[in-house]
Amino acid sequence: MLFTTEIIGAWFAVFLTLAIFSFLYKDNPFYKAAEHLFVGVSAGYWASTFFWTQIQPNLFGRLWPKVDGEMGGLRAAWYGIYDFFGWFHSGIFPEGGIDKGHEMNLVYMVPFILGIFMLFRLSRKLGWLARWSMAYVVGLAAGLRLYGFLNSNILAQVRGSALPLFDGWGTAINSILIIIGTLTGLFYFFFSKEHTGMFGKISRVGIWFLMISFGAAFGFAVMGRISLLIGRFYDLIQFSGSEYHHATYWLLAVIVILLGVQAFRERGKQTERA
Amino acid sequence: MDKNKFITILIKLGKVDRRVIFLLIAIVVLIPLLKPLGLPIRATETTQRSFNAVDSLQAGDRLLMSFEYGPSTKPEIHPMAEAVLHHAFLKGIKVYVVCLWPDGQFMAIDALNAIAPLYDTVYGEDYVLLGFRPGNEAVVKGIASNLRKLYTVDYQNTLVDSIPMMAGVYSLKDFNLIFSFSAGYPGTVEWVQYGSDPTGVPMTTGTASIQVNEIIPYENAGQLRGVIAGMPGAAEYEALVGKPGLGISGMDAQSIAHLVIVLFIIFGNITYFLERKRSQKKY
Repeated sequence: MLFTTEIIGAWFAVFLTLAIFSFLYKDNPFYKAAEHLFVGVSAGYWASTFFWTQIQPNLFGRLWPKVDGEMGGLRAAWYGIYDFFGWFHSGIFPEGGIDKGHEMNLVYMVPFILGIFMLFRLSRKLGWLARWSMAYVVGLAAGLRLYGFLNSNILAQVRGSALPLFDGWGTAINSILIIIGTLTGLFYFFFSKEHTGMFGKISRVGIWFLMISFGAAFGFAVMGRISLLIGRFYDLIQFSGSEYHHATYWLLAVIVILLGVQAFRERGKQTERA
Repeated sequence: MDKNKFITILIKLGKVDRRVIFLLIAIVVLIPLLKPLGLPIRATETTQRSFNAVDSLQAGDRLLMSFEYGPSTKPEIHPMAEAVLHHAFLKGIKVYVVCLWPDGQFMAIDALNAIAPLYDTVYGEDYVLLGFRPGNEAVVKGIASNLRKLYTVDYQNTLVDSIPMMAGVYSLKDFNLIFSFSAGYPGTVEWVQYGSDPTGVPMTTGTASIQVNEIIPYENAGQLRGVIAGMPGAAEYEALVGKPGLGISGMDAQSIAHLVIVLFIIFGNITYFLERKRSQKKY
């Protein structure tokens, strides 16, 4: 039996898929192992990708871009710091500077310093410095989002709700439904007045529209989950073939047997305790 | 069988172990995958509008595709991305790919490697993968204002200035259409808010099913040209392009599974009301 890297990968994929599926039976060591592996790999992958796609090319690449020819004075001293870093890791800090098409821009020292401050969260004494970085991130995100939401979610949506009423029966019914749904929904989320009397009745209509919306969301959620199941089944069917040495059948048998043994042992222990 | 006994059986069936339901769903999904039924597929209006948005582009026009999904939503979104790539390459549209999710880059490489070799395309002349940049909506804003500042190199670290099809591309306004393939945040919403709306570049999207409810208002308000909704949307787009893929082949299983789930919901509600009625009679 020949096990190429592709076949080993397929066996690994099948094992992890079945291990995750095994949670449907009950929590078990296979599921735990797959879950922990997923969390670890994800964290490692994200950290590495963020570093190599942003910090190295766009931050270090702007602080120490590749320079040709002689350097003198302050610039030589600045690149002396770079050479010192390069002594530790020449992959991150290659000789002569980082060639990612940037010009030198020392303003990027600000995010560099704020990024270092963020790491001080690990220190009890200097942890307060991380607040400066967090304040910057929160402020920036709030500013960015305010503009986006105001323009696209409020103004454009209000504009989108101004619908033609007399453009055929179908359009008229749709437009009226959207207007009623929008207004009654807004009434429901107005909490400064008690939901009684006429106000209560209108907000109750709003609840109905919300319920229909939740129903549609539930339907889409089911559709999504079934699609994911189909995706995993495709791989399991593909990897059950002879070219993958029937990985699905073998691993399914092993996992079922081991889970059966575990269940049998647990039952024995419960009987002993009783 | 007397009525009371029948109701007791129904109530007992209503309390069946959830694992039995899991098993039944697995079986009804698996059987159509092994023995396809070939149920008909008809494009919905939203998918048709997405198709029309791409179809209206001319050869040489620029299409910006953004990959914002990972392996967890691959079965839903990947078939759409592949179908759109088929469509774009068939029409000779220039494809520019960016990724707001780190795993989106893997998905993009996978889709381009599968589709680009089927056509007479050259990397850097007909399509380019600019890759992932962290920063969520800040990345979209960066692309909208100055793409060259954000992307000085592509995913293989080739200088963007040396890529032929990047000539004349400096910001989002240099594109004819944005097509976002999104499974959440950052994704379609951020492209609408910081990309399409401020610049006026038309946009369409393909999203995971769970996101459709959130996205449809943008389509209704005219902020999006169309929406491809989940695996059924992917199947519809594949059918429109005439390139059957994972979307179409998964639709039989999808339809049967939905039918079974609807039956379970109806059955669960019936048994719930029967049980409630019986307990009310007792007290």
